[in-house]
Amino acid sequence: MIQVLVNSVVYASEIAIIAVGVSLCYSILRFANFAHIQFAVVGGYLTYSFATIPGLALPLPLAMLASAVMTGLMAILIDILVFSRLRNTSAEGKMIVSWGVALFIRSIVAAIYGGSARVFDVPSSTIVVGDAVFTTLDVIIACATLVLMVALHLFLYRTRIGSGLRALASNQELAVTRGIPGDRLIRLMWFLSGSLAAIGGSLIAIQTRLQPSMDLVIMLPIFAAVTIGGLSNVFGAVVGALILSLAQNFLIWIDFGTLFFGDPWHIPTKFRDYVAVLALVLVLLLRSRSSAAAAKR
Amino acid sequence: MLDFAVYSITIIAVWSILALSLNIQFGMTGLVNFGQILPFALGAYAAGIAASLGYPWWIGALAGLIAAPLIALLVIMPAQRLAQDYWALITLGAAEIFRLTVLNTPALTGGADGLIVPRIIDPVLAMTVAVAVLIVTFLLAQRISSSPYGRMLRVVREDEILASTLGRSPIRYQASVSVIAWMMAAAAGVTYAHITGYVAPSSFTVTETFIIWTAVILGGPGRNIGVIFGAAIIQLLGVSSRFIAQWIDLPPDLIANLRLASFGLVLVLMFLYRPQGLIPEAKQVHDAERD
Repeated sequence: MIQVLVNSVVYASEIAIIAVGVSLCYSILRFANFAHIQFAVVGGYLTYSFATIPGLALPLPLAMLASAVMTGLMAILIDILVFSRLRNTSAEGKMIVSWGVALFIRSIVAAIYGGSARVFDVPSSTIVVGDAVFTTLDVIIACATLVLMVALHLFLYRTRIGSGLRALASNQELAVTRGIPGDRLIRLMWFLSGSLAAIGGSLIAIQTRLQPSMDLVIMLPIFAAVTIGGLSNVFGAVVGALILSLAQNFLIWIDFGTLFFGDPWHIPTKFRDYVAVLALVLVLLLRSRSSAAAAKR
Repeated sequence: MLDFAVYSITIIAVWSILALSLNIQFGMTGLVNFGQILPFALGAYAAGIAASLGYPWWIGALAGLIAAPLIALLVIMPAQRLAQDYWALITLGAAEIFRLTVLNTPALTGGADGLIVPRIIDPVLAMTVAVAVLIVTFLLAQRISSSPYGRMLRVVREDEILASTLGRSPIRYQASVSVIAWMMAAAAGVTYAHITGYVAPSSFTVTETFIIWTAVILGGPGRNIGVIFGAAIIQLLGVSSRFIAQWIDLPPDLIANLRLASFGLVLVLMFLYRPQGLIPEAKQVHDAERD
């Protein structure tokens, strides 16, 4: 039981850091940015490079910081080159373009680093609490997410710049009319979501492994988490990640066999991703009801 | 050289069917389907499973043409009263679910190893079959495009509320067009399976969906002949890059990645500089009195 909770929290942490960036972008620019997943992959690879290139070989936290800054700047660059010129294009158009950007980044990463998997060599020791077994790495991941999310919350709700961002999200035209520097804040939003994605991607890569195809593994859980949280709600995405992760881990943990038939039987682990898509569809179905009901009122 | 031309035409024909299928969904109706590869995979796997169970080819073809529209209706259901970006997520999820299901059910679908399908040995015959399916699909797409039904699809694309005020239900149009489009893509899948003689989940990933998207955006969304042109350019770029790889002796996966990167670049550049595509949709003028 504790084991399941621990696993869920660790997985939710990794997903949440990446998912908040998708919501940030959706809340201000109103489109689902599929290139965001690639920011996480690029971030993971940059961290790997900074930590392993001979002569540089930064310690891992510093490598992650450098990678976060670089990925954030890359996100700004992509905005300048592509998305800033499409501000008046429809949401669907921007979403399709974001796939083009994603395809481009993904292929370039695979061309540079090759398709084979890389593993970070991180020493970590196991901790045993009751019957739960986890590693010091798990603790670091969960704590890092907690710190980042609290920092993001303080930034958005306790600083002037944060209020500016929230104003842009709630009514862009009004915010700009009232003298909020829209373009500069949008760049800041790109930097934030890019660097958060880089940290999330690095954490996932450190815990599992680094591969260009990891985008397909994390894409569905991230978009499911964002959708459960309500797309444009930044901290909804965190809650969404937690709900999704708990659902995935508990469904695999529960012994359905003993419950219904008497013989032990579990849902195989490989069906984890189905939960993500099912959650997505379920939320969309319920949401379409409630929004239709709201429209009738 | 002749072999190469036959092979290229066959490949272009299959991908043109997929592009036409996406075109009547997205180009004409405005439905953003990010799982376009799903009906294609359904057709291919229907052919594959039928062959592995020892049924003749037409049973597989029939199964594919029945399964695809049923799944289309299932997937479009939640799209009712939902914004387009949500439908995009659902179709994306549905395609991934199918791929995962195939990977996890090796007993029926061969898992990651795939299935062997009886292959059309004669390349000219294979080309003839592919081109024949393409011609049927193209004529159907043209018929839809110029019919009152097609005009209504365009109204739904431009303004769903306007369609409703005209007394037409947008979801009915979206559902019916999806059924037709998915049957087209399933037909392409059946053809593809019998041409390559082999189906495996690695041929039906998100990347393939975006190759189709690139073809449609490049050629001209809403214009049938345009998207065939787009598919031809994209596929010629694909096959010729393999030749170049042999010539200048670069590793094949590097070339494959650069090819995909160039597709991504094409998609983005088209949106930035020529969103109407190479052969744009023609403006149609209709006189209600004379029509």
